[in-house]
Amino acid sequence: MAEGTGMSGGRIKSPEDFCGAIFLLLICALALWQASELTFGTLRAVGPGLMPTALAVLLAGLACVLMVSSLKDDGPDVSPPSWRGILFVLGAFVAFGLAVRPLGLAVAGPLAVIIAGFASDETRPGETVLFGLGMTAFCIALFKFALGLPIPLAPWLLGY
Amino acid sequence: MDIISNLALGFSVALSLQNLALCFVGCLVGTMIGVLPGVGPIATIAMLLPLTFKVDPTGALIMLAGIYYGAQYGGSTTAILINIPGEATSVVTAMDGHEMAKNGEAGKALGIAAIGSFIAGSVATLVIALLGKPLTAMALIFGPAEYFSLMVLGLALAVALARGSVLKAIIMIVLGILLSTIGTDLDTGEERLTLGMTALSDGIDFAVLAMGVFGLAEILKNLENPEARDVVKSGIGKLLPTMDDMKRCFAPIMRGTALGSILGILPGNGAVLAPFASYTIEKKLAKDPSRFGKGAIEGVAGPESANNAGAQTAFIPLLTLGIPPNAVMALMVGAMTIHGIIPGPLVMSKSPDLFWGMVASMWVGNAMLVIINLPMIGLWVKLLKVPYRLMFPAILLFCAIGIYSINNNPADVFLTAFFGLVGYAFYKFGLEPAPMLLGFVLGKLMEQKLRQALTLSRGSMMTFIERPISAVLLLIALAIITVALLPSVRKGREEAFQGD
Amino acid sequence: MKRMLIAAAAALTLATAPTKAQDYPTRPVTMIVPFAAGGPTDIIARLVAESMSKTLGQQVIIENVAGAGGTTGSTRAAQAAPDGYTILMGHMGTHGAAPGLYKNLKYNPSTDFTPIGLAAGTPIVIVTKKAFPADDTKGFVSYVKANNDKITQAHAGVGSVSFTTCMLLTHQLGVKATAVAYTGTGPALNDLVGGQVDYMCDQLPSVIAQVRAGTVKAISIALPERSPALPNLATTKESGLPEFQVSAWNAVFAPKNLPEPIKAKLADSLSKALDDDKVKARLLDLGAVIPQGKERGPDALAALVKSEVDRWGPILKSVQQ
Repeated sequence: MAEGTGMSGGRIKSPEDFCGAIFLLLICALALWQASELTFGTLRAVGPGLMPTALAVLLAGLACVLMVSSLKDDGPDVSPPSWRGILFVLGAFVAFGLAVRPLGLAVAGPLAVIIAGFASDETRPGETVLFGLGMTAFCIALFKFALGLPIPLAPWLLGY
Repeated sequence: MDIISNLALGFSVALSLQNLALCFVGCLVGTMIGVLPGVGPIATIAMLLPLTFKVDPTGALIMLAGIYYGAQYGGSTTAILINIPGEATSVVTAMDGHEMAKNGEAGKALGIAAIGSFIAGSVATLVIALLGKPLTAMALIFGPAEYFSLMVLGLALAVALARGSVLKAIIMIVLGILLSTIGTDLDTGEERLTLGMTALSDGIDFAVLAMGVFGLAEILKNLENPEARDVVKSGIGKLLPTMDDMKRCFAPIMRGTALGSILGILPGNGAVLAPFASYTIEKKLAKDPSRFGKGAIEGVAGPESANNAGAQTAFIPLLTLGIPPNAVMALMVGAMTIHGIIPGPLVMSKSPDLFWGMVASMWVGNAMLVIINLPMIGLWVKLLKVPYRLMFPAILLFCAIGIYSINNNPADVFLTAFFGLVGYAFYKFGLEPAPMLLGFVLGKLMEQKLRQALTLSRGSMMTFIERPISAVLLLIALAIITVALLPSVRKGREEAFQGD
Repeated sequence: MKRMLIAAAAALTLATAPTKAQDYPTRPVTMIVPFAAGGPTDIIARLVAESMSKTLGQQVIIENVAGAGGTTGSTRAAQAAPDGYTILMGHMGTHGAAPGLYKNLKYNPSTDFTPIGLAAGTPIVIVTKKAFPADDTKGFVSYVKANNDKITQAHAGVGSVSFTTCMLLTHQLGVKATAVAYTGTGPALNDLVGGQVDYMCDQLPSVIAQVRAGTVKAISIALPERSPALPNLATTKESGLPEFQVSAWNAVFAPKNLPEPIKAKLADSLSKALDDDKVKARLLDLGAVIPQGKERGPDALAALVKSEVDRWGPILKSVQQ
């Protein structure tokens, strides 16, 4: 049907686009708040605030267009997020970051692999632990010894 | 002729046993670190610098250059196999390359990438040898205004990357530019959009953003849809491109090479635009543009050639002007300086053996990369058979180590995890990260060049139109945007008329 | 397995036994370079570290911790254990200008570090585009003063050496040249070679190739004596701008409370590195200035840091309104 009818009932026809637009508007709000104290300057001496503010406003405008079209045109639903994946995959990454300097790669490596293992149903516990140790040994040999990256190995044990 | 004696000198240097060995080691190490997701050439070259103290400067530079373009090769492999582009330039390769891998054509994609790169590398070597000097003069005509217009053109090209909605692609490009403004303002030293976090005071590193929205988000995506990732394992298919593929890719490879060679010479890291420009052109020239984004082999061949040609001609501003176009090249300057050679206009006349030796070694290195990589394709493809339950923790570990080693700073690791979450949200909302990464890379340059140009022109916007090169670039950008928007406007109308 | 156990046991004793300061160093020393690899400070650090590794008998590993004008890496060094295994290659920016530039600086250059010694400084050169209408300091000064509103100066971003030294110059000349910010010396130099901007001040190693090739014009060098790397270039002192004396010095620091024997050992090793013929040749070729006699050692460095902090504070405050 022709445009216009899509608005009937004010129902959201493309939840994916609608949520996306909300997400983008949140980002714009954050950027505008952060940029609010920066000066615009003049054309001759453009200030630090001009670009971020202009871009955030432009992005907000585009997000509004997306939102309007999400009310008109059909689109896919948003599938529920997998909290388990988020928790363990990103958790593994954060754990690595927390552990790498105080405890070294020797601890952070297996830790990251084992935590990541919880993210999947297919994980076999014994295999993952062994794999984590093996991969870490490989990475230590490669990064620490072959390439010489200054990454701590096990400061609590070796002092570096 | 001069050029023949120069190349002869170059090859006599590059083909010495020691330099061949160093070139091989460099290419091998480069390929290896390029393949590992998240580990970039910068950290590796920096760490290998002390090792090169023991060899003569030419040998050292040949090895370091080998790492650089070896990493480019390896980076394409990762992009194609697991959809994680390590650098801005392999974002394009990942688009159709990974689709090909999903269609069971990983071998073909890797093969055409290697062959295209080799052809591009060979041509680029000749370009450097023949035209290095005159082209350098051309590069200097590019002032801030011209660069700004070039970046606008680049962003116009980014619209063509859209696989689905053009509106969403534009949204993501703008978001990318917005993200690029984060960090300390160059002119005033004020912190912008950093939320008061020191980790953000120098802006977001490209690798942090890319590993987050591609690497980690890809893992989350794959864990959620076991079917999607199994496609890769369903069939491996032919390992090498057929004659038919080669014929089809010949013209794209040539066009990509030409684009890459020209853009690589621009001292402001113009090489970054080459793959995007090549992709856009191939898509426009294709009989059936709809194949692009779904595993079109030309979409791998063209951009890969452009990328490699650009990576090589990027040595021209370094060798002839002494001005490094990007961070890796800046490191090469450091390496040369440590070895007592100060890169600049005099390198060519003062150390001809070094200059021509390096040029010749680029060709040798490219040949080696093909020899190293073609037999390895079988191995890489087999890696896809590793069960995903082991694959993703391994990718994750490599990414974590790679990200940490950029600045030896755990804060970057946390930031990457955050962008992993953001990338996952993009996926949920059907927003493509590829145009965002391009916006991010070009946006940074664009703002700087805009501000520089306006400062120099005393606030006159006319500077962009008064300068002829700048005006032409802007016109092309305008044309591209019009062409890109037309079909979607038309399509939008058609859909509206068809109704639902 | 047995070998691994022995290795682990050895490692444990190594870590637990209170190693005496006299035995220092028993393991690799990390030298933090607070800038990206490849820049002048990084090059000087790598050259010096290579030689220090020999005299210390342990590898000196370079760790680049770039960020926030070098203050990220310096903060990490300030907070490290004072055991001599973490040292820092600081420079004029991190230990001179930083307090005047960064309001939230997490360290005090004078009190949070044990100074080890000055490594090498890179002199500052005033360079102009090739077509600049003046060739010497006097002509440069009068042209800049006469064209105050038209002249443009390039710098490599707020906080960079080219920024602070150019600020010093404009401050001393009493002019207000339009500053054009670039992301680094490379892009700034590119536009200077291309004639888009009029002049910049930068470290000699960064511009020496261009000066020698004549793609940019060197006006004068901010040194008391001429540099052997560019013997034809007049100094600011001899050519009528004597007050413009500035050098991008680099120096080795350790965290505060470093035991005296370790401090002495490091200072000695650094001094030997500066006398190493190979290091010396490379540094001089770059145009770097190597400290001699009284300029070396912890006390000279402590005095330098104090005078530099005092010098930059007011200048940087005055340009930031």
